[in-house]
Amino acid sequence: MHIPDAFIPIWQGAIYWIIALVFIALALRWARNEMSEEKIPLIAVVAAGIFALQSFNLPVSMGTSGHLVGGALAAIILGSPFAAIFILTLVLIVQGVLFGDGGITTMGANIINMGVIGGFVGFYSFKGLMAATGNVNIAAFIAAWLACVIPALACAVEMYFAGTFPLNEGLVAMGLYHALIGVIEGFVTVVAIRLIVAARPDIVDFKIEFPAAKGVDV
Amino acid sequence: MDNKTFLIAGIIIALLIGVVAVFMASGDPDGLESTSLIVQGQKTLTGGTPANAEIHEDTTGKFAYQSPMPDYSLGERFGPLGGVIGIVVGVLLAFVIVIGISKVLVTKKKAKEAQTNQ
Repeated sequence: MHIPDAFIPIWQGAIYWIIALVFIALALRWARNEMSEEKIPLIAVVAAGIFALQSFNLPVSMGTSGHLVGGALAAIILGSPFAAIFILTLVLIVQGVLFGDGGITTMGANIINMGVIGGFVGFYSFKGLMAATGNVNIAAFIAAWLACVIPALACAVEMYFAGTFPLNEGLVAMGLYHALIGVIEGFVTVVAIRLIVAARPDIVDFKIEFPAAKGVDV
Repeated sequence: MDNKTFLIAGIIIALLIGVVAVFMASGDPDGLESTSLIVQGQKTLTGGTPANAEIHEDTTGKFAYQSPMPDYSLGERFGPLGGVIGIVVGVLLAFVIVIGISKVLVTKKKAKEAQTNQ
Protein backbone atom coordinates (compact mmCIF):
# COMPACT_ATOMS: atom_id res chain seq x y z
CA MET A 1 0.00 0.00 0.00
CA HIS A 2 2.86 2.35 -0.82
CA ILE A 3 1.15 5.50 -2.11
CA PRO A 4 2.99 7.04 -5.10
CA ASP A 5 3.43 10.81 -5.52
CA ALA A 6 0.77 10.98 -8.23
CA PHE A 7 -2.00 9.81 -5.89
CA ILE A 8 -2.10 12.73 -3.40
CA PRO A 9 -2.00 16.51 -4.04
CA ILE A 10 1.14 18.12 -2.63
CA TRP A 11 -0.71 20.21 -0.02
CA GLN A 12 -2.45 17.16 1.40
CA GLY A 13 0.86 15.27 1.39
CA ALA A 14 2.34 18.14 3.42
CA ILE A 15 -0.37 17.76 6.08
CA TYR A 16 0.36 14.04 6.38
CA TRP A 17 4.08 14.82 6.58
CA ILE A 18 3.52 17.24 9.47
CA ILE A 19 1.50 14.65 11.41
CA ALA A 20 4.09 11.98 10.60
CA LEU A 21 6.92 14.22 11.84
CA VAL A 22 5.25 14.52 15.24
CA PHE A 23 5.18 10.73 15.51
CA ILE A 24 8.73 10.43 14.19
CA ALA A 25 9.88 12.80 16.95
CA LEU A 26 8.05 10.66 19.52
CA ALA A 27 9.61 7.52 18.04
CA LEU A 28 13.08 9.05 18.31
CA ARG A 29 12.34 9.91 21.93
CA TRP A 30 11.25 6.32 22.51
CA ALA A 31 14.45 5.08 20.89
CA ARG A 32 16.59 7.40 23.01
CA ASN A 33 14.93 6.24 26.24
CA GLU A 34 14.38 2.56 25.52
CA MET A 35 17.28 1.66 23.28
CA SER A 36 20.16 -0.25 24.80
CA GLU A 37 23.32 -1.76 23.38
CA GLU A 38 21.66 -5.18 23.77
CA LYS A 39 18.64 -4.29 21.66
CA ILE A 40 20.45 -2.79 18.65
CA PRO A 41 21.01 -6.14 16.86
CA LEU A 42 17.32 -7.00 17.25
CA ILE A 43 16.13 -3.67 15.87
CA ALA A 44 18.56 -3.82 12.95
CA VAL A 45 17.71 -7.41 12.05
CA VAL A 46 13.97 -6.70 12.25
CA ALA A 47 14.46 -3.68 9.94
CA ALA A 48 16.48 -5.69 7.40
CA GLY A 49 13.96 -8.54 7.58
CA ILE A 50 11.00 -6.22 7.07
CA PHE A 51 12.72 -4.60 4.09
CA ALA A 52 13.34 -8.01 2.49
CA LEU A 53 9.86 -9.36 3.25
CA GLN A 54 8.24 -6.21 1.84
CA SER A 55 9.75 -7.07 -1.54
CA PHE A 56 8.25 -10.57 -1.46
CA ASN A 57 4.82 -10.24 -3.03
CA LEU A 58 2.65 -13.32 -2.81
CA PRO A 59 -0.46 -13.82 -4.95
CA VAL A 60 -3.77 -13.52 -3.09
CA SER A 61 -6.08 -14.32 -6.06
CA MET A 62 -8.26 -11.79 -7.94
CA GLY A 63 -5.21 -10.64 -9.89
CA THR A 64 -3.69 -9.12 -6.79
CA SER A 65 -0.65 -9.72 -4.63
CA GLY A 66 0.56 -8.54 -1.27
CA HIS A 67 3.42 -8.69 1.16
CA LEU A 68 4.18 -8.27 4.84
CA VAL A 69 4.07 -4.66 6.03
CA GLY A 70 5.67 -5.39 9.39
CA GLY A 71 4.17 -2.75 11.69
CA ALA A 72 2.68 -5.32 14.05
CA LEU A 73 5.83 -7.45 13.97
CA ALA A 74 8.12 -4.56 14.93
CA ALA A 75 5.77 -3.27 17.64
CA ILE A 76 5.16 -6.70 19.21
CA ILE A 77 8.75 -7.92 19.18
CA LEU A 78 10.14 -4.62 20.52
CA GLY A 79 7.31 -3.94 22.93
CA SER A 80 6.21 -0.52 21.64
CA PRO A 81 4.22 0.99 18.77
CA PHE A 82 7.01 3.56 18.50
CA ALA A 83 9.43 0.80 17.50
CA ALA A 84 7.23 0.23 14.45
CA ILE A 85 7.27 3.93 13.60
CA PHE A 86 11.06 4.08 14.04
CA ILE A 87 11.73 1.04 11.82
CA LEU A 88 9.02 1.61 9.19
CA THR A 89 10.04 5.26 8.74
CA LEU A 90 13.63 4.28 7.95
CA VAL A 91 12.52 1.41 5.68
CA LEU A 92 10.10 3.71 3.82
CA ILE A 93 12.81 6.36 3.36
CA VAL A 94 15.14 3.81 1.73
CA GLN A 95 12.29 2.41 -0.42
CA GLY A 96 11.07 5.82 -1.54
CA VAL A 97 14.37 7.57 -2.14
CA LEU A 98 16.36 4.70 -3.66
CA PHE A 99 13.71 2.57 -5.34
CA GLY A 100 10.76 4.87 -5.99
CA ASP A 101 8.52 2.51 -4.00
CA GLY A 102 6.16 4.98 -2.37
CA GLY A 103 6.40 8.68 -3.20
CA ILE A 104 8.34 11.49 -1.52
CA THR A 105 5.45 13.90 -0.93
CA THR A 106 3.29 10.92 0.07
CA MET A 107 5.90 9.42 2.41
CA GLY A 108 4.26 11.12 5.38
CA ALA A 109 0.97 9.37 4.58
CA ASN A 110 2.78 6.05 4.11
CA ILE A 111 4.55 6.48 7.46
CA ILE A 112 1.20 7.25 9.13
CA ASN A 113 -0.54 4.24 7.57
CA MET A 114 2.09 1.54 7.90
CA GLY A 115 4.16 2.81 10.83
CA VAL A 116 1.80 4.77 13.07
CA ILE A 117 -1.56 3.06 12.47
CA GLY A 118 0.02 -0.34 11.82
CA GLY A 119 2.20 -0.04 14.92
CA PHE A 120 -0.53 1.15 17.29
CA VAL A 121 -3.19 -1.26 16.02
CA GLY A 122 -0.70 -4.14 16.04
CA PHE A 123 0.65 -3.42 19.51
CA TYR A 124 -2.57 -2.72 21.38
CA SER A 125 -4.63 -5.45 19.75
CA PHE A 126 -1.81 -7.89 20.56
CA LYS A 127 -1.86 -6.72 24.14
CA GLY A 128 -5.64 -7.06 24.41
CA LEU A 129 -5.72 -10.43 22.68
CA MET A 130 -2.93 -11.72 24.92
CA ALA A 131 -4.99 -10.79 27.94
CA ALA A 132 -8.04 -12.50 26.45
CA THR A 133 -6.47 -15.66 25.00
CA GLY A 134 -3.04 -15.97 26.63
CA ASN A 135 -1.79 -17.45 23.37
CA VAL A 136 1.01 -15.60 21.56
CA ASN A 137 0.29 -17.23 18.19
CA ILE A 138 -3.40 -16.38 18.10
CA ALA A 139 -2.86 -12.89 19.50
CA ALA A 140 -0.03 -12.10 17.05
CA PHE A 141 -1.91 -13.48 14.02
CA ILE A 142 -5.07 -11.46 14.63
CA ALA A 143 -3.14 -8.34 15.68
CA ALA A 144 -1.06 -8.51 12.48
CA TRP A 145 -4.18 -9.09 10.34
CA LEU A 146 -5.78 -5.98 11.87
CA ALA A 147 -2.53 -4.04 11.44
CA CYS A 148 -2.77 -4.76 7.71
CA VAL A 149 -6.50 -4.18 7.14
CA ILE A 150 -7.02 -1.01 9.20
CA PRO A 151 -4.13 0.94 7.60
CA ALA A 152 -5.49 -0.16 4.20
CA LEU A 153 -8.90 1.31 5.06
CA ALA A 154 -7.20 4.50 6.27
CA CYS A 155 -5.34 4.59 2.96
CA ALA A 156 -8.68 4.27 1.10
CA VAL A 157 -10.05 7.27 3.02
CA GLU A 158 -6.90 9.29 2.20
CA MET A 159 -7.36 8.34 -1.47
CA TYR A 160 -10.93 9.64 -1.22
CA PHE A 161 -9.74 12.97 0.25
CA ALA A 162 -7.17 13.15 -2.54
CA GLY A 163 -9.88 12.62 -5.16
CA THR A 164 -8.10 9.50 -6.41
CA PHE A 165 -10.67 6.83 -5.36
CA PRO A 166 -14.41 7.12 -4.77
CA LEU A 167 -15.07 6.37 -1.09
CA ASN A 168 -17.17 3.19 -1.29
CA GLU A 169 -15.33 1.58 -4.18
CA GLY A 170 -12.00 2.32 -2.49
CA LEU A 171 -13.04 0.98 0.90
CA VAL A 172 -14.54 -2.22 -0.55
CA ALA A 173 -11.58 -3.03 -2.80
CA MET A 174 -8.87 -2.03 -0.32
CA GLY A 175 -10.71 -3.87 2.47
CA LEU A 176 -11.25 -7.04 0.44
CA TYR A 177 -7.70 -7.28 -0.92
CA HIS A 178 -6.08 -6.50 2.42
CA ALA A 179 -8.34 -8.94 4.27
CA LEU A 180 -6.51 -11.56 2.16
CA ILE A 181 -3.10 -9.90 2.33
CA GLY A 182 -3.62 -9.71 6.10
CA VAL A 183 -3.48 -13.52 6.23
CA ILE A 184 0.08 -13.27 4.88
CA GLU A 185 0.77 -10.54 7.43
CA GLY A 186 -0.53 -12.73 10.26
CA PHE A 187 1.26 -15.89 9.18
CA VAL A 188 4.65 -14.25 8.57
CA THR A 189 4.40 -12.26 11.81
CA VAL A 190 3.77 -15.42 13.87
CA VAL A 191 6.63 -17.31 12.19
CA ALA A 192 9.04 -14.38 12.60
CA ILE A 193 8.14 -13.94 16.28
CA ARG A 194 8.64 -17.65 16.96
CA LEU A 195 12.02 -17.64 15.19
CA ILE A 196 13.26 -14.56 17.02
CA VAL A 197 12.01 -15.77 20.41
CA ALA A 198 13.65 -19.16 19.83
CA ALA A 199 16.97 -17.50 18.96
CA ARG A 200 17.02 -14.76 21.59
CA PRO A 201 14.34 -15.08 24.25
CA ASP A 202 16.32 -12.67 26.43
CA ILE A 203 16.02 -9.60 24.20
CA VAL A 204 12.38 -9.92 23.18
CA ASP A 205 10.15 -7.73 25.26
CA PHE A 206 6.41 -8.26 24.86
CA LYS A 207 5.82 -5.61 27.56
CA ILE A 208 3.04 -7.75 28.92
CA GLU A 209 2.82 -9.14 32.40
CA PHE A 210 2.28 -12.86 32.24
CA PRO A 211 1.14 -14.87 35.24
CA ALA A 212 4.60 -15.66 36.59
CA ALA A 213 3.92 -19.25 37.61
CA LYS A 214 2.54 -20.37 34.28
CA GLY A 215 5.30 -18.88 32.15
CA VAL A 216 4.84 -17.93 28.53
CA ASP A 217 3.48 -20.29 25.96
CA VAL A 218 5.51 -19.47 22.89
CA MET B 1 22.98 -17.24 20.54
CA ASP B 2 25.22 -14.22 21.14
CA ASN B 3 24.67 -10.81 19.60
CA LYS B 4 27.16 -11.27 16.79
CA THR B 5 25.74 -14.64 15.69
CA PHE B 6 22.21 -13.24 15.89
CA LEU B 7 23.20 -10.26 13.72
CA ILE B 8 24.96 -12.37 11.11
CA ALA B 9 22.23 -15.03 11.00
CA GLY B 10 19.57 -12.33 10.81
CA ILE B 11 21.17 -10.46 7.95
CA ILE B 12 21.82 -13.68 5.99
CA ILE B 13 18.17 -14.73 6.35
CA ALA B 14 17.01 -11.25 5.27
CA LEU B 15 19.30 -11.30 2.22
CA LEU B 16 18.15 -14.82 1.27
CA ILE B 17 14.49 -13.79 1.50
CA GLY B 18 15.20 -10.73 -0.64
CA VAL B 19 17.12 -12.64 -3.32
CA VAL B 20 14.51 -15.41 -3.52
CA ALA B 21 11.86 -12.66 -3.83
CA VAL B 22 13.57 -11.29 -6.96
CA PHE B 23 12.83 -14.58 -8.73
CA MET B 24 9.69 -15.81 -6.98
CA ALA B 25 7.67 -12.75 -5.99
CA SER B 26 4.33 -12.31 -7.71
CA GLY B 27 4.20 -9.67 -10.42
CA ASP B 28 0.52 -9.00 -9.81
CA PRO B 29 -0.34 -5.48 -8.66
CA ASP B 30 -0.62 -4.96 -4.90
CA GLY B 31 -3.86 -4.05 -3.13
CA LEU B 32 -3.55 -0.31 -3.71
CA GLU B 33 -2.56 -0.74 -7.38
CA SER B 34 -5.39 -3.23 -7.98
CA THR B 35 -7.86 -0.78 -6.46
CA SER B 36 -6.66 2.01 -8.73
CA LEU B 37 -7.00 -0.31 -11.75
CA ILE B 38 -10.63 -0.89 -10.71
CA VAL B 39 -11.25 2.83 -10.31
CA GLN B 40 -9.71 3.41 -13.73
CA GLY B 41 -11.97 0.74 -15.27
CA GLN B 42 -9.23 -1.73 -16.21
CA LYS B 43 -10.13 -4.48 -13.75
CA THR B 44 -13.14 -5.81 -11.91
CA LEU B 45 -13.16 -6.31 -8.15
CA THR B 46 -12.82 -10.09 -8.16
CA GLY B 47 -11.53 -10.63 -11.72
CA GLY B 48 -7.91 -11.13 -12.75
CA THR B 49 -5.61 -8.33 -13.86
CA PRO B 50 -5.29 -8.06 -17.66
CA ALA B 51 -1.68 -8.42 -18.86
CA ASN B 52 -1.72 -4.99 -20.48
CA ALA B 53 -3.28 -3.18 -17.52
CA GLU B 54 -1.34 -0.09 -16.58
CA ILE B 55 -2.05 2.45 -13.87
CA HIS B 56 -2.51 5.90 -15.28
CA GLU B 57 -0.76 8.33 -12.97
CA ASP B 58 -1.91 11.91 -13.34
CA THR B 59 1.16 13.85 -12.30
CA THR B 60 -0.21 17.30 -13.19
CA GLY B 61 0.50 19.60 -10.28
CA LYS B 62 2.07 16.72 -8.35
CA PHE B 63 5.63 16.20 -7.29
CA ALA B 64 7.65 13.92 -9.56
CA TYR B 65 10.79 12.14 -8.49
CA GLN B 66 13.04 9.79 -10.45
CA SER B 67 14.65 7.28 -8.12
CA PRO B 68 18.05 5.79 -9.01
CA MET B 69 16.73 2.20 -8.97
CA PRO B 70 13.03 2.27 -9.87
CA ASP B 71 11.18 -0.98 -9.15
CA TYR B 72 14.18 -2.46 -7.31
CA SER B 73 16.12 -2.99 -10.51
CA LEU B 74 18.86 -1.46 -12.63
CA GLY B 75 16.74 -1.55 -15.77
CA GLU B 76 16.21 -4.24 -18.38
CA ARG B 77 19.85 -4.35 -19.43
CA PHE B 78 20.84 -5.97 -16.13
CA GLY B 79 17.79 -8.24 -15.86
CA PRO B 80 17.42 -10.32 -12.69
CA LEU B 81 21.02 -9.53 -11.64
CA GLY B 82 20.00 -5.88 -11.33
CA GLY B 83 17.12 -6.97 -9.12
CA VAL B 84 19.46 -8.97 -6.89
CA ILE B 85 21.87 -6.02 -6.62
CA GLY B 86 18.96 -3.69 -5.84
CA ILE B 87 17.53 -5.83 -3.07
CA VAL B 88 20.95 -6.55 -1.51
CA VAL B 89 21.75 -2.82 -1.47
CA GLY B 90 18.33 -2.07 0.03
CA VAL B 91 18.49 -4.70 2.79
CA LEU B 92 22.04 -3.72 3.76
CA LEU B 93 21.22 -0.02 3.67
CA ALA B 94 18.15 -0.44 5.89
CA PHE B 95 20.31 -2.49 8.27
CA VAL B 96 23.21 -0.02 8.36
CA ILE B 97 20.99 3.07 8.75
CA VAL B 98 19.05 1.52 11.65
CA ILE B 99 22.26 0.39 13.39
CA GLY B 100 23.86 3.78 12.81
CA ILE B 101 20.99 5.84 14.21
CA SER B 102 20.51 3.42 17.12
CA LYS B 103 24.20 3.60 18.04
CA VAL B 104 24.16 7.39 17.96
CA LEU B 105 21.10 7.46 20.24
CA VAL B 106 22.62 4.96 22.70
CA THR B 107 25.94 6.84 22.79
CA LYS B 108 24.11 10.12 23.44
CA LYS B 109 22.09 8.52 26.21
CA LYS B 110 25.26 7.14 27.83
CA ALA B 111 27.01 10.52 27.63
CA LYS B 112 23.99 12.18 29.22
CA GLU B 113 23.85 9.60 32.01
CA ALA B 114 27.59 9.99 32.66
CA GLN B 115 27.08 13.74 32.89
CA THR B 116 24.23 13.47 35.39
CA ASN B 117 26.21 11.03 37.51
CA GLN B 118 29.13 13.39 37.90
